[in-house]
Amino acid sequence: MAGRKILMVALVTTLWYGWLGASWVFPSDPPPAGEELESVAVRVYLTEGALPSDDPHSAVWDSAAPSEFKLAPQVHWPDRIQEATVKSVKVRGLHNGQDVAILVEYQDPTEDAADAAALEFMVGDKKAHFAHGQELLQVEGGPVNIWYWKKANGKGTDMSAKGFKTLRPQDQQDVSATGAWQDGTWKVVFSRPLETGDEHDVQINPGEWISVAFAFWDGQIVDGAIKEQGSQKAVSSWWYIRAEPQPDNSIYGYVVLGIAMAVGFEFFLIRKIRRGNQA
Amino acid sequence: MKGPLFNTAVVLAGIYVFLKFILPLFTAPLPASLIFLYLALTLGALMIFYTMSGESLEAFMGPVHRFLVGEGQTGVANIARLLVFIVFPLLVGWQTYTKLAPSDDPPPESRTIHPAPPGEFVGLANPYPKNNQTIQEGKGIYASNCSPCHGENFDGKGLAAVGFNPPPANFSDPGTIAQLQESYLFWRIKKGGVGLPVEGMPWKSAMPRWEHELSDEKIWKVIIGEYDGAHQSPRTWEEEE
Repeated sequence: MAGRKILMVALVTTLWYGWLGASWVFPSDPPPAGEELESVAVRVYLTEGALPSDDPHSAVWDSAAPSEFKLAPQVHWPDRIQEATVKSVKVRGLHNGQDVAILVEYQDPTEDAADAAALEFMVGDKKAHFAHGQELLQVEGGPVNIWYWKKANGKGTDMSAKGFKTLRPQDQQDVSATGAWQDGTWKVVFSRPLETGDEHDVQINPGEWISVAFAFWDGQIVDGAIKEQGSQKAVSSWWYIRAEPQPDNSIYGYVVLGIAMAVGFEFFLIRKIRRGNQA
Repeated sequence: MKGPLFNTAVVLAGIYVFLKFILPLFTAPLPASLIFLYLALTLGALMIFYTMSGESLEAFMGPVHRFLVGEGQTGVANIARLLVFIVFPLLVGWQTYTKLAPSDDPPPESRTIHPAPPGEFVGLANPYPKNNQTIQEGKGIYASNCSPCHGENFDGKGLAAVGFNPPPANFSDPGTIAQLQESYLFWRIKKGGVGLPVEGMPWKSAMPRWEHELSDEKIWKVIIGEYDGAHQSPRTWEEEE
């Protein structure tokens, strides 16, 4: 009988230590070698109190680490451009459980009335193409929600699209935006309630991953014409954005429970072995 | 120190070194999960072997038991024993934390790079011959339409390439057009990213739907120019059989 007990204890011990050891030695395969992307997601930090929604220069923004995304000239559909002014964008996000504010920061040497910036989100469960939710041939696509800001308008516009030439301002406007240009850098803040109750809007539930894309227009007048407007702009394809959820402190309870169980197991193990030796 | 426990450690270490470092000299590297599986099977087999009789079990587990209960141990061994008893619960706590802590990584995506084309595009032959004229025509069409993303050198490093996810294909890589038939390229150019099936994640691709802008003749010719420029040959039916 004692032999069988020892066998059980030996097996359990081996499995425990084996599992722990394996987790150390084999965490997981590293990702395949290749060019590292600068960022893949925007983290919208949870904060308390009012958001700096109308102040792109607020010191509060320093508390949110930026993500950086490279941009390409819009070459996907006519009218294309081969080179765009804005090459990359830094994005910061904050939310307070009620509202969300997103700051985009990018280089543009001149301040022009037609300078503009936009955030684009997938809406609902269906995947949407990053080019205004244009038609997908083998998959049923969804619509996109676009938050648009233009220097000349001085405010944000809440828009929807599902396919080319379908971009329209929504009946219910929920987005605010304000921009400030200084020394060749635009800082534009977009803000909105996390949830709007409008089915045409992206609903931002903390903890949920949402697809986001960016677009910027350089409105400089060159030879009597605006340099970038309409489909001629700097763009990104889809990346992710996620509002931080409320911290879950129950994790620490489980950690303490795990440690307590491990200590209990040690006492149990030694007792078993000692009894086995006496038997 | 020699005994069943020592032998087990030597066998496991030997198999690990063989699978991790020696085998990849002759074949592709094994994934960590497979190496772990082989080691677990080896350990299982050794455990069955050592539990066949009371003596062999005692020889295997005896040193472990004596260490754990501290039987006849000197100072250093006792400190090691104490360390094990402290480190083990901490490891369990750390494991619990890492398993439960919320991840800041986006959901993983498994995008199929070359999904199956629709039936109507399978096995189409290029109606234009490969000669100097069609190569030059094709390269001209490529230069004005494709090179901004796929690059002047057919390497996927065009000026517009950096902003897109997934990046434009590198045709000089033997893993791209050299693996494909001309009919496959015809489909991908004509219908673009939006023509991909769901496993190709058509909502992410910036590849234009060129059928709106290029005739079939131009698409077939650009394929000829592309293979020539990238120093690759299309995959053919003969090679597959």
